[in-house]
Amino acid sequence: MRALAAGAGAYAATQAGLLSLLSGVAEAASSSRPTIVVASKGDIPGRVRAAVQALGGMGKFVKRGGMVVIKPNMAWLRKPETGANTHPEVVAELVRLCRAAGARAVTVVDNPVDGPASRVASMSGIREAAEKAGAKVMCAPPPAMYERNQIKRGKVLKQTDTLRDILRADAFINVPVAKVHGSTKATAGLKNLMGTVLDRGAWHQSDSLDQCIADYATQVRPHLIVLDATRVLLTNGPKGPGRTKDLNLIAAGTDPLAMDAYAVQLLEMRPEDIGHLQRARELGVGELDLSRVNIKRV
Amino acid sequence: MHSRVRRLRRLSQIAFLTGFLVLFGFAGRSPTLHSLGDGAASGWRLPVDLFLRADPLLALSAMLSLRQMLLPLLWYALPVVVLSLLLGRVFCGWVCPMGTAIDLCERIGGIRGRGPAQAPPWRRVKFYLLVALLLTMLLPAAHRSPREPSLSQSLGLSAVYLVDPIALLTRTLTLSGVAPAQWTITFARDVNLVWTAAPLVEKRPWLEAALRRVGSGLEWLVRPDSPPYFRLGLLSFAIFLGIVALGGFARRFWCRNLCPLGALLGVLGKLSPLRLRVSDKCTRCLRCVNECKMGAILPDPKQYRGPECIWCYTCLAVCPEKAISVIVRPAESGRQDGLDLERRRVLEGMGIGLAAVLLPKVDWTAKRTQAGEKVLKLSSERLIRPPGALPEDAFVTACVRCGECMKVCSTNTLQPAFGEGGLEAVGTPVLVPRMGPCAESCVACGQACPTRAIQPFGMEEKQHLFLGTANVDRSKCIAWSYGRQCMVCDEACPYDAIQADILHGLPRPVVDDRVCVGCGECEFRCPVEPRGAIRVSASGDKRHLSRADQRALREAASPGAKTGEENAGSEAPAAEQDMIDKAPYPGAYP
Repeated sequence: MRALAAGAGAYAATQAGLLSLLSGVAEAASSSRPTIVVASKGDIPGRVRAAVQALGGMGKFVKRGGMVVIKPNMAWLRKPETGANTHPEVVAELVRLCRAAGARAVTVVDNPVDGPASRVASMSGIREAAEKAGAKVMCAPPPAMYERNQIKRGKVLKQTDTLRDILRADAFINVPVAKVHGSTKATAGLKNLMGTVLDRGAWHQSDSLDQCIADYATQVRPHLIVLDATRVLLTNGPKGPGRTKDLNLIAAGTDPLAMDAYAVQLLEMRPEDIGHLQRARELGVGELDLSRVNIKRV
Repeated sequence: MHSRVRRLRRLSQIAFLTGFLVLFGFAGRSPTLHSLGDGAASGWRLPVDLFLRADPLLALSAMLSLRQMLLPLLWYALPVVVLSLLLGRVFCGWVCPMGTAIDLCERIGGIRGRGPAQAPPWRRVKFYLLVALLLTMLLPAAHRSPREPSLSQSLGLSAVYLVDPIALLTRTLTLSGVAPAQWTITFARDVNLVWTAAPLVEKRPWLEAALRRVGSGLEWLVRPDSPPYFRLGLLSFAIFLGIVALGGFARRFWCRNLCPLGALLGVLGKLSPLRLRVSDKCTRCLRCVNECKMGAILPDPKQYRGPECIWCYTCLAVCPEKAISVIVRPAESGRQDGLDLERRRVLEGMGIGLAAVLLPKVDWTAKRTQAGEKVLKLSSERLIRPPGALPEDAFVTACVRCGECMKVCSTNTLQPAFGEGGLEAVGTPVLVPRMGPCAESCVACGQACPTRAIQPFGMEEKQHLFLGTANVDRSKCIAWSYGRQCMVCDEACPYDAIQADILHGLPRPVVDDRVCVGCGECEFRCPVEPRGAIRVSASGDKRHLSRADQRALREAASPGAKTGEENAGSEAPAAEQDMIDKAPYPGAYP
């Protein structure tokens, strides 16, 4: 009996990182109305600070000595002006805030679509900005850094290989940019999570890409989502070249679906029309109806 | 004194071999090569293809075949020519990296003085080979403009690539040397990267910092993302090994009997004022005859063949009587300058040269299709050339198959042709999109080509260079055939050449062939294994059109694309474009 308890305890300890992620699900389910904060004043770092502050400050998400993983959209061989990747200043400011909150290590990571990865990291401006702010940047981590991850509630996606650092992180911050998408119509936080898995091709080859995205969102939940709507891409997403619009907004929240619904609205589309968001709602990932979300403007 | 010079020579050999390897290693990340458009060069910088440019045989071949003075090559090749006029084949003994490699291998293999001079007939082979090569260069070459009706009769072929030692060594290193070197270094770096999981490093920040420094040093050394793989790697290594192994028959067998560059420098050296003189102190011990690396000393030790001597200073150093010295007056020297070529063999050499040029032309793939102004070879659906490449006939003439472009290619897409384009094109670079796309922001191959078979181009210009056209195989595409949500090709396309055909809400890819340049991003990323459902074909190749015409076509197809603030991502820096535009003649690039 004691051995069983010890075994269970050891198992729980090794899955500590995973559990901290899943606790987010419980939190979201118990709170009544999710909150989104939208910052529109000041320069980019100022907006990021204002948004995070309005949610209670970075200290709410990052504990002293914790390990933080930031996942921007750093997937395309494009310069910041094109709106294809997350703006480097957004990432840099988040890194600074995490370090100020006492994080032991901050890692900025993505598995890019374009290559060579080193070129993607530098052309997007994120490598330089993030390293200067004190983070370690990993673009295209080698296969050894991924870990088999079971998607318990997955309807189509049953298992995948996720970045180990994300599974073990004390704080996982998702920093997508709002864009239209040739395949899924729109891409924001949920789609951004595709950059944390090793084999994306399998999702495309599956019965439903939309369902895979939704399934994954039930398993891997960021603690904080910061949406970069500085410059959004309105045509020919996700890579462009296309028509961009300067909205100069930074949004932050903890409900992944609410954040995505907000992003889709900014793209002049309806959240109900986006397949993977509908399916995520059915799986209880979060709130899709923006009328049931507190949107605070700062 | 003589042994000191000998030591100096060895140092010089090591220095130049090291320089060769360092420059080779730098290719692809040096600021001179605008790899991926990093900044503009201002002023002169050491070109990483220095050795290829300085090779007089390659320079001669390129200029003769293209019927053009190529100033960039001339600046570097001229000093070597002058050096040879003054000192004979000193390049072979003091500079040539192939010679050094052979010497090193022979030293390691324990091959020492192998008997007296090689029988004359073998020695002449390199001169006959040179004759054959000169003939191939002199034959009517391809015109630069494919609109000339005589294109189908062009006979020019750059055969030099098979036998020039610098081109050979560069190619061997590229095809069979880079990948193993990178595997080793990448392995070391990846072991370093797993530090985040290693508890060892967590408690020791000093260790982490040290490992990081090692890691970034290693990453700087190699292309950090993946080692390049090449076709024909084993074959090229086998050829190099074969050349070195010939040392089993005689020391520096290649240099003595086969090297056409050595033959050319030997001919130039006939005018050299410096000669060796053997005094009467000579006891006819014949040590010099046995030790001579080139077998240049005749059975009578007071006589030696001028066109063979590489000034290795071995004879001067080993002579027990110190009877050998360097003088200027011809009367006292035993230097024999005659090449002793048999007329019949010279004619045979010329015949071989002619045959070498004609043979590939009777290969069935030499038949050209004649579709209006476009002239392609029948076998060449996958003969996708690098951006900026000359039209096909001029290209196979100018390309020396050195492999520099493949080495610098940032995505490992450039591979030696083997089958595409027939016999004539073997070894020339082709794009293999499944190995890697032609990256939108990379201009490396145009910078690296020493003979300007690939003409330089800027980042912005590249968007208008049509290499081919992508085609969707609808029977294999998972969207068209199986109704799956994909469109990865559309995601990957940097030029917005793929549109969506939507059926019941499901998008399926359709290529706009007026916009598609054939870069291969789509084919590279298509998740359908093994060869992709969307594939690039050479049929969109528009090399017969001028760059201005190609640009006009592209802009007509997608007006407003890639212009203005929206798409600020892909403009070449102004200074770089300026430099290319102001070049003294098409293709000149300092």
